[in-house]
Amino acid sequence: MSAVYTLGIDVGSTASKCIILKDGSEIAAKSLIDVGAGTSGPKRAIDMVLSEAGMKREDMAFVLATGYGRNSLMGLADKQMSELSCHARGAAFLFPEVHTVIDIGGQDVKVLHIEKGAMTNFQMNDKCAAGTGRFLDVMARVLEVKVEELGDLGAKSQKKVGISSTCTVFAESEVISQLAMGTDKCDIIDGIHRSVAGRVAGLAHRIGVVPQVVMTGGVAQNAGVVNALRAELGCEIKTSPLTQYNGALGAALFAWQAATR
Amino acid sequence: MSINALLDEFKIKAASPKKQLAEYKAQGKKVIGVLPYYAPEELVYAAGMVPMGIWGSNTKSISRAKEYCATFYCTIAQLALEMLLDGTMDGLDGIITPTICDTLRPMSQNFRVSMGEKMAVIFLAHPQNRFEDFGLQFCIDQYTHVKKELEKVAGKEMTDEAIQDAIKVYNKARAARRTFVKLANEHCDVITPVKRSAVLKAFYFMEKPEYIEKLNELNEELSKLPACDWKGTKVVTSGIICDNPKLLEIFEENSIAIAADDVAHESRSFRTDAPEDEKDPMMALAKQFANIDYDVLLYDQASSKNRRGEFVADMVKESGAQGLVLFMQQFCDPEEMEYPYLKKALEEKNIPHIKLGIDQQMRDFGQAQTAIQAFADVLEMSK
Repeated sequence: MSAVYTLGIDVGSTASKCIILKDGSEIAAKSLIDVGAGTSGPKRAIDMVLSEAGMKREDMAFVLATGYGRNSLMGLADKQMSELSCHARGAAFLFPEVHTVIDIGGQDVKVLHIEKGAMTNFQMNDKCAAGTGRFLDVMARVLEVKVEELGDLGAKSQKKVGISSTCTVFAESEVISQLAMGTDKCDIIDGIHRSVAGRVAGLAHRIGVVPQVVMTGGVAQNAGVVNALRAELGCEIKTSPLTQYNGALGAALFAWQAATR
Repeated sequence: MSINALLDEFKIKAASPKKQLAEYKAQGKKVIGVLPYYAPEELVYAAGMVPMGIWGSNTKSISRAKEYCATFYCTIAQLALEMLLDGTMDGLDGIITPTICDTLRPMSQNFRVSMGEKMAVIFLAHPQNRFEDFGLQFCIDQYTHVKKELEKVAGKEMTDEAIQDAIKVYNKARAARRTFVKLANEHCDVITPVKRSAVLKAFYFMEKPEYIEKLNELNEELSKLPACDWKGTKVVTSGIICDNPKLLEIFEENSIAIAADDVAHESRSFRTDAPEDEKDPMMALAKQFANIDYDVLLYDQASSKNRRGEFVADMVKESGAQGLVLFMQQFCDPEEMEYPYLKKALEEKNIPHIKLGIDQQMRDFGQAQTAIQAFADVLEMSK
């Protein structure tokens, strides 16, 4: 019997990710483009993943879209699902013991409760950028560093600096004030990470934090935020090198389920 | 009329208050705007005038009202003022401004200052202690003040008989809406969330005898239909208001029906009838207010027992819903403060729920779409 290939596409607010899964268990190809919904990102990510796999759209038994821009792919995708369900599915695939998923994306923070591999409860952030990837983007711009450098720079901090966790706009003013006072950038970055962790922990506690805790989304690549969140929640937090692909992975898994039903 | 024709009519009425106001005025009628909550509309009807509910707007932005309002005032109150300031509700002969919450209380003075020379602005303070004799008397005193002010606008006194008649009409309107809500659950394939909302919203703008006649006709037609074999999921909705068709369409896209509601703009406003056997009609109206129960905004002597939370949780179970969607109006203090108790009651009965932060100025529902779609997945599992 020939292999069944399925494609999961996660069109986020700041990045587009794709995964081609072979027989619902093996990653055949993956792609990531650093722009998301409303840009050329989704198409480029799809072209890239198909090219990497040496396959065509027609070779996919089922294509499932997720993420903020999921509706824009109807026509190309066979079905769309919310990224919460897909993140739950992806995390449960990577970490079978997971009970709590914390996903920090470009403009959303989501905390999912998982039972037997399926989402049973969730919380999303309010309409506020505090605690999201966007918050870190804004701070990195003010600090004149690249967002991917924040983790390493924060690790060099020697002194605790408090940054408000209530509002991106006010927190930006605080960072500017700290810079004007000559505070070390690394200390400010560490304060920013703890600020994000405080905000996210508050959201997580609303539905309860049950180990094993897994963090997904682009911000999970920032060790500073992961460590701050670990300290805030007082428990181990698992991450995966596939963290940014987690939603696309979940979509590809649901696609495989639909294709083989 | 067919079900679809009736639904279309309710939809048009729900979406065009300005047009209807103009029609009432062209017919030589006097019209009174009624702000939330619990105003004795029966008195407006008894005075021979047309009451029109003013619960903000889903198509306007706050601009001129900012001159008067603090930023944390809820958008319902601010957009109600906006509609009065921008001419949408020009032609009103007066407004009644109840003051049951911390926003509406100061807001009543904003209405007075901004509209006082243009129309009658009738202040109404309900009693917090509404059950005791002194509470009932306070309520009667307040309603008597409203009555006198309405009489000035109408240019004639209203009789006890006219008020008794108005009570009967309003009880019929409440009963018709309660029946409709039950039928909407039984026939949720026909009465979608958007249509359900339009039928209930039309009450605020239509003349009551016409509304009752049309709704009874719709109820009769619905009751003839075979029971629906609903394959999707069902929820109970809660909150102050959820009448935005774009937001409700997301429920339809995800096959979520509304089994019942605990919404101030909907069922909370018609759960309780006024007694028809009370000799003094003003006492009957005061008792109607006193008898309202399980309401976020009203004092509950046994609030520590979380009666309201349990009432709503039971509503979910009894209506056959799998979960609850709470529309949290920004920034409604009473609803926000009550939420932990509602959450506790729901969790104790293992009822999944989501809280959606909404604002009548919202035009993009991307985040709500994600949350509702994910919630549909959760509900599907608990069926």
